[in-house]
Amino acid sequence: MTDPDHDLEQALRALRPAAPGPAVTARLAAELDAPAARRGVVIAWSAGFAAAAAALVAAFVFLADAGEPEAPAYQLVHAERSRPEVQLFRPVELADGSYARPVRVRWEDTTRWEDARTQTRLIDYRPNDQLGFLSLETH
Amino acid sequence: MQDAHSSQDWRAWFARNGARLRLIARQWTRSEADADDVLQEAFVRFWKHQRHLPGNPNALVVTSIRRSAFDLLRRSDRRALREKIAGDDLETVTWFEPEADPRRAALADSLKLLPAEQREVVVLKVWGDLTFDEIGEQLSISPNTAASRWRYAMEALRRNITARTHD
Repeated sequence: MTDPDHDLEQALRALRPAAPGPAVTARLAAELDAPAARRGVVIAWSAGFAAAAAALVAAFVFLADAGEPEAPAYQLVHAERSRPEVQLFRPVELADGSYARPVRVRWEDTTRWEDARTQTRLIDYRPNDQLGFLSLETH
Repeated sequence: MQDAHSSQDWRAWFARNGARLRLIARQWTRSEADADDVLQEAFVRFWKHQRHLPGNPNALVVTSIRRSAFDLLRRSDRRALREKIAGDDLETVTWFEPEADPRRAALADSLKLLPAEQREVVVLKVWGDLTFDEIGEQLSISPNTAASRWRYAMEALRRNITARTHD
């Protein structure tokens, strides 16, 4: 059995909807490209803090070892960072009259150290929640 | 639109699908500018949070567009009936690229003259690539109702084209 509407449907499909203007693409780029750059900054910044924390723990272990030979000697065995969740909010006007888009980035850092000799482990779980602003240029 | 699950390049994906998504957004908005706003908000939400979800990406993105459109209406305190909204500026909108073929041009014009409830079914089926079941879910109507509206729309389009061709 043939579909009597088939030809008409095909004719409709042949119509070409008007494409969005370049302004729409530019606005999408501001929303979809910017977070990636921002995410890179956050990760780099966060990585610095994680390294500093690891150094502090290592220093603590080292100093503890000096005074107490039997204390655990932890080795870093695992470090994991979850995929950041980036949330963009509607633009807001700042006190100086400029506009910015609030952005919230959340992720978790998990670092694990183990001492094979004493079979002990130290786990550092740290949820992170950063709120910042992306400057918007207005014309 | 199936490649949305794996695609990493939003620009390429949007270049392929943006026009028809905008036409869908236009069904539930008052103006071209509103349609662009809705399309932007819906696409960003879809691309960042929903494109990896299982299921038909067409249905996901249409749901996102519809949600954004009605959010915009609420924000703007525009509580007019959908039929009125979609019919407000029919004389000035440019939904399609210009057509040299007079039959195609007549078809494009006739589509705008359909009742809104029929037109949105046509748009969702043809440019949203949705089934009647999926259209029913989108519009909170039964699949049979969606199919009936489609048949009425086809009859009306055929009548309009014939009348315009004979003019």
